[in-house]
Amino acid sequence: MIDWGAFLVVAAVSIGSAAALVALFAAGLRLLAVDSGNVGIRLTAYVCFVLAALGTLYGVYLIIPALHPA
Amino acid sequence: MDLTLVVVLVIVLAIFFDFTNGFHDTANAMATPIATGALRPRVAVGVAAVLNLVGAFLSTTVASTISGGIIREGPGGVDITPTMIFAGLIGAVIWNLVTWLRGLPSSSSHALFGGLIGAAIVGAGFDSVDFGVVLSKVVFPALLAPVVASVAAFVATRLAYRITRRPVEKNHRSGFRVGQIFTSSLVALAHGTNDAQKTMGVITLALIAGGFLRTGSAPPFWVILVCACAIAAGTYTGGWRIIQTLGGGLTDIKATQGFSAEAATAVTVLASSHLGFALSTTQVASGSIIGAGLGRRGGAIQWGTAGKIVIAWFITLPASAAVGALCELVARLGLGGLVIDAAAGLAVIIGIFIASRRRPAAQSNALEVDVAMNSVMTRKEQRDAHKKRSEELFAARRRLSDESSLFDYGQREEAS
Repeated sequence: MIDWGAFLVVAAVSIGSAAALVALFAAGLRLLAVDSGNVGIRLTAYVCFVLAALGTLYGVYLIIPALHPA
Repeated sequence: MDLTLVVVLVIVLAIFFDFTNGFHDTANAMATPIATGALRPRVAVGVAAVLNLVGAFLSTTVASTISGGIIREGPGGVDITPTMIFAGLIGAVIWNLVTWLRGLPSSSSHALFGGLIGAAIVGAGFDSVDFGVVLSKVVFPALLAPVVASVAAFVATRLAYRITRRPVEKNHRSGFRVGQIFTSSLVALAHGTNDAQKTMGVITLALIAGGFLRTGSAPPFWVILVCACAIAAGTYTGGWRIIQTLGGGLTDIKATQGFSAEAATAVTVLASSHLGFALSTTQVASGSIIGAGLGRRGGAIQWGTAGKIVIAWFITLPASAAVGALCELVARLGLGGLVIDAAAGLAVIIGIFIASRRRPAAQSNALEVDVAMNSVMTRKEQRDAHKKRSEELFAARRRLSDESSLFDYGQREEAS
């Protein structure tokens, strides 16, 4: 009656990707908080933000039905 | 002619349902950014309204059944008449307004299902409802949605605190406010694509049942336009009572938690709608906020409020079903019954709005001061005073949603 398989997939994907998205953004903030003037660290921080932004854009892609078949 | 009247009534009521759906669900996306001062309240509801409007146009393929299998519709089953839809909608609208008055977030689609179930039971007998589907589509998801969402938000919040931890130097957790704007916008957009579509479906199916459209046709452009505008207007009106409950009534939300909660909501809603296990956005959002509250050390949850919210979820279906059943019973009297239904429904709606205007006794003192000030101040002074007050509130929200590390603490000591 209840599709437990589908539920477990939804639960695992939700928990996993929420953790990944938040961890990326948090890592970006943490790296920016180091005021060392080190270009490498700043760059890594921006990479984190860009990855988090890509995750969000993937969300937009999923929301808009016109962008993907059915 | 009789049928035309019913269809017109259904359309008007469906549009109003769309409006209540909008202002009921603003809080899901915008309660946390308002609470942490990431966005000014007016800006927040404005952004949500625009995204709902855009979302409504993005996704216009409506379902072929109103109830999604809960009622045995179509060939071999019962016909859902426009009258039943009308009775069901009254039940849904009234329940939405009652929960709004109490500041409780509850699922608008469950209210609609409830209303339709009640109407169908009276109109076509108990057999017309598939209670197995009610269990698997409404009852179990209502239990599971907050669990998934709160675990996701809890894990995310814990991680966010762990990663940004800097006990001595300045932490940059206020930066989460920027992230909050994006995750909340994602939730608002997802809401627009999901919920406006439901009303479009109801109106289109009523038009088909009335013989104004051919079976299986897409919603006409005016239906899409009107539904999009109604949900956007509802969102912009902002269900401030529900925003208050979710933004501050459940737990005291910091920027880190707001970001994690909204990220968890967005991800869970998207995962559930794309991996085939539908969960209610409202229940997911409430669950996320509780999870985020548990994830911060020292964060306390108001379990009393949380309990009330959960009780409201479980009454939603039977309560709107009862109203739907009553309306269908009256509507079966014929044209007169319909008119009685419409009049009674309108009276209840107006009554609830009047009740919402009445202030509780504790606030009456503040109100008196306001009135007294209004009589001595010019309009410009009033405006300025109001602006100043909201600026102060906004600044206070931002300050409270930051977490000071020991570094900040030291700075502040020196300054004073």
